[in-house]
This record gives sequence, C-alpha cells and structure tokens, in this order.
Amino acid sequence: MSDAVVVIDYGMGNLFSVESALRYLGAEVTLSADPEVVESARQVILPGVGSFRLAMERLTARHLDEAIQRFVTRGDQLLGICLGMQLLGTASSEDGETAGLGIIPNRVDRFDDLLGVKVPHVGFNSITPSTASGLFANLPLSPDFYFVHSYRLAVNGMTSPHATCEYGETFLAAFDVGNVRGTQFHPEKSQSNGLQVLQNFLAA
Amino acid sequence: MTSVKKRLIFTLLFNEDRFMLSRNFRLQQVGDIGWLEKNYNFRETALSIDELVILNVERNRESSERFRFHTQRLNDDCFVPIAAGGGVRSVDDARALLRSGADKVVINSILDSDPMSVEELASEFGSQCLVASVDAKRVDGVIRPFVENGSRLVDATLGEYLTRIANLPIGELYLNSMDRDGTGQGYDLELLDCLPDGLQVPVILAGGAGKPEHFSAALSDPRVDAVATAHLFNFVGNALELSRQRLLNDGMNLAKWNSQHLKRLASIL
Amino acid sequence: MSNVFWCTNCLNMSTRPRVSFDSRGWCNACQWMEEKRTLDWGARQQELRTLLHRHKSPNGRFDCVTTVSGGKDGSYVSYNVQHVHGMNPLAITVTPALALEIGNRNLRNFIDSGYNHLQVNADPTVMRILNREGFLLTGFPYFGWLMAMQAAPIRLAVNLGVNLIFYGEDGEVEYGGSTALKNKAIYDIDFMRKIYLEGGQDKVLKASNLPIEKLFFFMFPTEAELAGRTLEIAHWSYFESWDPYRNYLTAKEHCGLEEADASNSGTFTNFAQNDQALYALHTYVMYLKFGFGRATQDVGIEIRRGAMDREQGVQLVKLYDGHYPEEYIDLYLDYYGMTRAEFDAALDRWANTELFEKKSGRWTPTFEVQ
Repeated sequence: MSDAVVVIDYGMGNLFSVESALRYLGAEVTLSADPEVVESARQVILPGVGSFRLAMERLTARHLDEAIQRFVTRGDQLLGICLGMQLLGTASSEDGETAGLGIIPNRVDRFDDLLGVKVPHVGFNSITPSTASGLFANLPLSPDFYFVHSYRLAVNGMTSPHATCEYGETFLAAFDVGNVRGTQFHPEKSQSNGLQVLQNFLAA
Repeated sequence: MTSVKKRLIFTLLFNEDRFMLSRNFRLQQVGDIGWLEKNYNFRETALSIDELVILNVERNRESSERFRFHTQRLNDDCFVPIAAGGGVRSVDDARALLRSGADKVVINSILDSDPMSVEELASEFGSQCLVASVDAKRVDGVIRPFVENGSRLVDATLGEYLTRIANLPIGELYLNSMDRDGTGQGYDLELLDCLPDGLQVPVILAGGAGKPEHFSAALSDPRVDAVATAHLFNFVGNALELSRQRLLNDGMNLAKWNSQHLKRLASIL
Repeated sequence: MSNVFWCTNCLNMSTRPRVSFDSRGWCNACQWMEEKRTLDWGARQQELRTLLHRHKSPNGRFDCVTTVSGGKDGSYVSYNVQHVHGMNPLAITVTPALALEIGNRNLRNFIDSGYNHLQVNADPTVMRILNREGFLLTGFPYFGWLMAMQAAPIRLAVNLGVNLIFYGEDGEVEYGGSTALKNKAIYDIDFMRKIYLEGGQDKVLKASNLPIEKLFFFMFPTEAELAGRTLEIAHWSYFESWDPYRNYLTAKEHCGLEEADASNSGTFTNFAQNDQALYALHTYVMYLKFGFGRATQDVGIEIRRGAMDREQGVQLVKLYDGHYPEEYIDLYLDYYGMTRAEFDAALDRWANTELFEKKSGRWTPTFEVQ
C-alpha cells in the first residue's frame, strides 16, 4: 500500500490542478485509472468536471465504480470534488436520470431557473460549515470557495458534519461523513481556504 | 438572494513565447514567462485575482504546443481557475487545453462560424466549461461584434449577436471593448446596454482598465459579475494586490482569503 | 540627496530643471493639467483662427510651416492645420542621425497620407561633429540635430516667405518646467536659444570649429534676415489642450502611424519617440543628470491623462527607468568614433554623484522612487 494520494484519472476533471495543489502541500500524488491502484491506496480523490451520465459510464466501464465502493467499505479516506462529489450521491437528473454510486443518500438536481439566479453558479461564494473540525478545520468565518456548477446536491436534512451554501436556495456545499468527504467547490482553485481543506483531508 | 462574489480577473495575451500588451488590438511585446514570473512574481499575483484567463493571440496554429506548455506552467503557481483559449475550433482543441491545466475554455470565432461545434463542446465538457468571448467596437456609431482576433465584422449588431449566442450552451460571457482595449480610459459600460434581457450567464467585462478606479466603476454596475484586465504594464509589481485591497476596503463584494495562510501551507507535510 | 522629492501626483522629480511645486506637492505639469480642464479653450481657439486668418495665403502659397518627424505630435498638428483649419502647410522634417527603420516608415506613411513635405538633410558629417561636441559639452547626445530642428524650419520658412511656424507642444509647460509660455502662444528665437537649447549653442559651435558656410541649417536667421518680417513661432499646445495619447490615436487613424513591436528602450510605451536611436541615450544621460528617465516621463503622461495612478507608476518606473542603452552601444561608439572607455567617461561627467554611485561599472541610484 503506497503512501501517495491517488487521484482517479477517468478522463474527466482538471487533474493537473489537483495534483499541483497536493504537491504544493507536500503530498506524493499518483494519477491512475487502474482499479487495483485505487483500491490499494490509503487516500483517494475523485475529481470531475462535465456530464454526470458520461462520468458514470466511464467509471463503470473501467470498473472504477466497484473499486471505489470497496475502498469506501474498507474505511480508507475518499474525497470527491465537484462532479466527483455529486457522483457519490444516489442519482442525478442531468441528461436524463442516471444512478450514482449511492455512497451518500442525497440526490443531484439542477438549480431551479425560477430562483432568480444565473445558472451555472460561477465564482467565489461563502459556505457555512456545521462544525469547525475535520474537513472544515482552520478556516475563517464564512470562508469563500470557487464554485462552477449547474447541478447540486440537496441538503436533505443531513446531520453529519457538512457545509451549506446560499445560491437562490440552500444547497450542500461539502460533507464530511465518516471516511467519505465531498466538496462541490474546487479546493484546488480556492486559494488559501481550498488548500486548507485539502490539507485537512490529507491529515485525516 | 445570493452571496456569490464578484470577480477580478487577469488576462494574459500570449504570442510566440511572449506575453503581449494589446492597444485597440495592436500588439506590443512585453516579456516572456521569465519576465512575467519576475515582475509579476506570479505566485504573489495569483493571490490577488479570482481567475486567470490566458489567450493565445497568435495568428497561426503552430503555437498550440508552446501555448499549452505555458498554460501548464502558469497553472503550477495558480490556485484559482484558469480559462484558456485562442483559436479553439474543436473538441480536440478544447481537450488539449483542459489537459494542460485549464479549467475552462474560451471560445470566440466559432460562436459565429460554427454553433454546432459549441453544442458539441458543451455536451462533451459541460456548458459551464465554456466562456464565450465577444469583441466589439463602434462602426459608424453602432456597436458591432467582431471575430477572428477582431479582424472580421459579424453581420449583426452587438445586441443581436449576444441574443443569438445566449441561446447557445455557454457558461459565461466575456465582453471585450476593442475601442477601449489597452487605452487605460476605463471600461465601456455602454456595451452592457446590448445585453439581452434575462441573460442567464455571468458577465465578465473587459477592455480599457488602467487603474483600480476603473474596476470599482464597472463592478458597481449590477449587470457586471466580473472585470478583467489584460494591462500587463499598469498592474505590474504588487498593483493587483493593492487594487484588490482597495476594492475590499471600499466594500466591494469580492472573495476574501489569506495569502499568509496560503504560504504557510506550502510543504506542510 | 535627502532633499530630493517627487510630485505627489505624477512622479516628476524635484531635480527637473525649472520645475515648481505647489503646497500639495503637485508639480506645475499636474497643476496645468487641472487648469486645462476648466480653461476657456473656446477663446484660445478663436485666437488660433485669428492667427491663421492673418497668415492664410490668398494665392496658393504655403501659409505656415509645421515641424514633423513622422511621429504622433507633428502628424497631429499637421492634420489639424490642413484638414480641420483648411490652411496650406508645408511640413518640414530635419533628418536625425541614426534614424530608426520604424521612424522612416512612419515619416513615409505620414507624407503618403497627403502632405507637402520638405526633408532637410543637414550635412551628416557636420551634424555628427555637433552631436559629438554637444554630447561632451552639454550632455545632449543629439545637440546638433536639436539645433537644426529649431533653426532649419525657421530658416526655410523665412526663405519661402512663410511667417507662421507651428511646433507641437511647449514641453516646459506640459511636462514640468518653465511656465513662461503657459498663457503665451507665440515665442521667439531668444526663448528657443535660452530654454530649448539651454544656452548651449554658442559653446558647442565654438568647440566644433566649423566654418559658417557649413552651418546654415544649424543657426537661426540673423536679425538682418528677419528685418521687416513678423515671424510668429507658436506652440500648438497653447490653442488646444495637449494630449499625447489623443495625438497618437489621431496619427494612427489619419497618418498611418505604426507602433514598435516591443517597448522602446527605457520605457513601457511603443508609440512615441520612434525616430532616432540617440533618443535612448538622451534619456539615459537625463537619468544620470537628474535621476529620472523616459519611463518617468511616460508615467507622468499616463497619470495625468487618468490611465494610471501614482502607485502603479512607481512600479513601472522601478522596472524600466534608467535603462543603460546596451542594445545601441556599438552604434553609438561607431557614430561618435569613441572607444567604450571614452564613451563611459563622457557619461561619467554627467552622473549626479549625489544621486548615483558606481557599482560594478554602472551608475546605480542611491535614492528610491517614492
């Protein structure tokens, strides 16, 4: 089992930025599309940008979906970023209903056009964490992070440590559930706050 | 109610290994990546901006590889989103940029010449990944859109063109004044009058910024979500940092972070 | 050294000859910028029309002379005189030494855009001697050309029966210096001798040891030649609010002005002073004498036109000012017929040792711009 953080490369997501941020923090990083490498890692990051349906198709085709499930069951540390976070949910209505990995019980839907806000949600926005520890340790009050998305996870009354964000409605910005974490925002693109979150993940 | 912040964006114009200053779309060489790193101390500068845009303004296609190299290099020091573009015509062009470290792709000429490819790009990468860049200037008193590095006039008014492309699956709009470009005379707020009603995507205004006051003036307009400047001279040294500080002190709704904190996190493991 | 200070608005330095400051610490160029905003330009435009009317030729002869280099300022004035005011100007250029390719192109573009033009090529061997003596005695590396630039257009105007000559701006008022011409349109040869040539003409001519027949283009007309004429030498900046950037835009649009590909030596602009290689040396000597160079001047222009603020200007001055024109050195040595040692020794003469100290063979500032 290697000490390097494995970032799953399934052809979607800005891997180099994630890698660059992790290296800045002093971590060793491996980019891999190999389910075995993923399974045998101690810490795994699932990035993602683009279509939910396409992402699930690619993960399934490479058997990465199974590898992720087994990894999570074993109890090692997983972080999903942006689409990667959404994929951990039950399902998404993007491109027609698609099943997700179902690791957390929240579903993914589009921001409602009637909310009076522009879609996609693009830019820095502040989040409200429910706790100041774990994934959310050492952050200033109402920290700003970079978001770029048209779909979001509903909060669904989540009780585990999580963070919400306001954009026409309250949606799930991040969660810290046992060994599974997710951020809708891009920590690798959120300056000091983002790097702190990545650091919190690495130190877990 | 939304608390999404407004953004201060820095644009770099790249041409044959050099970064350029543009004045009314005429280019002046400024320096190479070494110059940029030294005089902008890019690690520092990147701490003062919300986003970086890198445009390849080279008129021939051979530069793509050098451009991607520079995109990657800039990505290393940059913990904010990067949008890259210039001559993007196909899914392959876009993918190459995204694999070089860009988070978003800037498209310009194909908005007019090949809307189908815009649909393709959106379906492959997601519409939020696409920044629609529009260059405009006055012709006989009417504001008109141009494509192909400002060399070809589009057969429409700016308003008509913006309405047309608003119906394409784009993520943001980067609206650039050719009249004001590089002049330091301030942004051309009249361009905003051409925005279609109910526009769904964020608007980035560009062209004309010379000093920090220009940022405030534009960001104070509710139609503007972000301002961009490509003025490589005027914001050299720590001028961007000071601009941001001044904007925040004046109560502008910009994101806040802590540069000292970021530096302390380096190689913390 | 400690009593050196900078304009609180634009970075003009207290060492600048003839500059003055108000109680806010604003130099006279910045004060003038403010005054220009509320000045009654209408009245001055009327004065211009009256002046032009007085000289307007009824029979197709040239009625005024404009002085041009192909650059933005002369082109702007010529364009206005001919197209806006309908006069019949003769544009005159005095060819500089070490003319730059882009300068030549711009001059050609200017002429081709439709102007009657006379190019004065003063004997280059004579100009070289005068330039060299000027460099050694006054620190102006192109003093010979400067003399010809002031004198030749006047001499020719007189010979052609033209009594009105337009120069671009009075640099003293516009950029910081004597305010004598702030409210005065017309000046005379004495003023030019004393201020623009800084009284150096006699000394340089004497040192050159050149006979008078070689010097026609370098010397002003005599009293006798001027007898019976009312020669009016005017600066355009009296009649219209002078704006170098506007001039650049007009010259681009109407006179085919092109910019250099990259920044010019010692500054960040590429659209001004593109005609001769000695300009970079001139601004370097200026830097050694006074502590400010070309970037400081350009920053001042940008700040005053509202395109930049002072803090930004400081960064650019620190980055570009005082650039030793390494790229032109061989050209200069060859031109002046000097060795590197002689050349550096000539520069050393001008370095203000209260502002600079020599480190590794290069004059470095002991002050910091603030």
